[in-house]
Amino acid sequence: MNLAQPNHPDSSQQERLEEPVLTLDQVTKRIGKKTIVDGLSFEVRRGEIVGLLGPNGAGKTTAIRMITGLITINEGDVRIAGHSIRNAFKQAIVHVGGIIENPEFYPYMSGFDNLKQAARMTDTVTDARIMEVIALLGLQEALHKKVKSYSLGMRQRLGIAQALLDRPKLLILDEPTNGLDPAGIREMRDYLKRISQSEGIAVLVSSHLLSEVEQMCTRVVVIQNGKWVTEHRIGDRKNATSMPELRLRVDRPSVAARVLKKLEHVQVTEVKEETSELACRVADADMPMLIDALREEKIAVYRITETKKSLEDEFLQWTGGNQIA
Amino acid sequence: MRNMTGLVHNEWLKLTKKKSFWVSPGLLAALTVLVTVMLYRFSANVAGIESGIAYAAGMLGASGTGQFVTVLSVVATAGIVAQEYAQGTIKFLLIRSRSRGEILVSKYLAVVLYILMMTVISFAVLFIAGGVTFGFGGTGEQWIEALKQGAYGFIYSLVYASLAFMVGVLTRSSGVSIGAGLIGTMFGAIVIQKDFYKYVLLPNADLSVYGTSGPPLPGMTVGFSLTVSAVYVALFLLAGYTVFRRRDIA
Repeated sequence: MNLAQPNHPDSSQQERLEEPVLTLDQVTKRIGKKTIVDGLSFEVRRGEIVGLLGPNGAGKTTAIRMITGLITINEGDVRIAGHSIRNAFKQAIVHVGGIIENPEFYPYMSGFDNLKQAARMTDTVTDARIMEVIALLGLQEALHKKVKSYSLGMRQRLGIAQALLDRPKLLILDEPTNGLDPAGIREMRDYLKRISQSEGIAVLVSSHLLSEVEQMCTRVVVIQNGKWVTEHRIGDRKNATSMPELRLRVDRPSVAARVLKKLEHVQVTEVKEETSELACRVADADMPMLIDALREEKIAVYRITETKKSLEDEFLQWTGGNQIA
Repeated sequence: MRNMTGLVHNEWLKLTKKKSFWVSPGLLAALTVLVTVMLYRFSANVAGIESGIAYAAGMLGASGTGQFVTVLSVVATAGIVAQEYAQGTIKFLLIRSRSRGEILVSKYLAVVLYILMMTVISFAVLFIAGGVTFGFGGTGEQWIEALKQGAYGFIYSLVYASLAFMVGVLTRSSGVSIGAGLIGTMFGAIVIQKDFYKYVLLPNADLSVYGTSGPPLPGMTVGFSLTVSAVYVALFLLAGYTVFRRRDIA
């Protein structure tokens, strides 16, 4: 059920030209007899912010740890910018910046010293680049304070700073807004959008906060019990459902319902006399026909609204109503 | 092993940026001075000591203040891997374009540097404290003997630090690895009079015995002990590397 591609002629053209930054190919992880991640495949392309969604225990963190080489892969492979994380770890991981779970630093060192630690593990990061990233994240004032005195929000920013140091092609964030206040979450969201747009970085975010993913991501990959469930492009929700549900306020709903039931390609889903409303499903192309039919019967139409399902509703539908948080 | 200096620099800063870093060298210097004063005041055996450097030569080994170097080095070594796990920084460390082997080697090199630093401090303090007490003169032979004993002390510390290093990798616990390193030093003096015991690490780690009490078991030489110790250190490092390279970071 990949609903995204057909509706995006230009992006799919681009996708054909460019290799994905991240490819998971039938990735499987077993611990003992338990299969934690089972044949998981998906891709992340340049400039995309992809949310990895799933109920607790779905295997999000395990998947992210396999992508970053922290845990071994039993079957399948992860390719980053074309390099296998299993066979060419260094060439693959050099394109990745990440925060896995909480941003962890050496608490007795300053923010700057911690960034220097990260920089010494690369071949290319200079002091000038460190200062550039510090300015980008507004960390100048906290720079020479010890990390143990940082608030969680500041540590998150320092986490993003260390992840961006070596100009990664892929940014991986595991629950990036965990423990942040609303202002911090918004700040984080804005950074990520800016980075992915201005530098074309691909971003993979795992999260259980659906509203946040909805606002931040261009696409979501939903997994459950370690398996791929569905993928979904956020901007495309209208196109995704070919027959969107509409709510009409009319003067005589039961008469209107009778009229609409005679029409082909229209499904009446609900009639509410008390609020003078009826709900139906109809494709855009059949809408003029529906309007004409109502006018012929002299039914007064006061309002037509589309009932949008929230990502949460859809998520619960996909995952069979498992608890998320 | 490109850019190993950057990694070793990192490891060295992780040790030295801690506020507690100077506690161990400070303790070493203080204990060394204290022991010197006590010996001078209360021991009858010091009458024959001719100079500070001769005193240093006698004390650098495992039976002297060299033991402090070993204990403090084991303590520093125990945390070098375990703390990365405890702080969660192991993830920060391992998602870089460096192999796990390089990371582990850089940590071990930092351990070697640390023991070297402690040995030099021990040597310097013994020389100064001994010089003040017994006079600064000394012959070339005494200097050579002191350097040799310093090297023996260094090797002794390195052997048990390597054991602690391996246990730290295997268990991820600084407490257990300190314990393992110290137990090694405690049972080093016990000798079982069986032939197989020649090939056990314990009687081989302390090379200074060859100058004082002679070979622990018949047929053992400095070269033999050095070889046995090297094999054990290699095995410790290989075991640590094998586990560290494949381990899942949960």
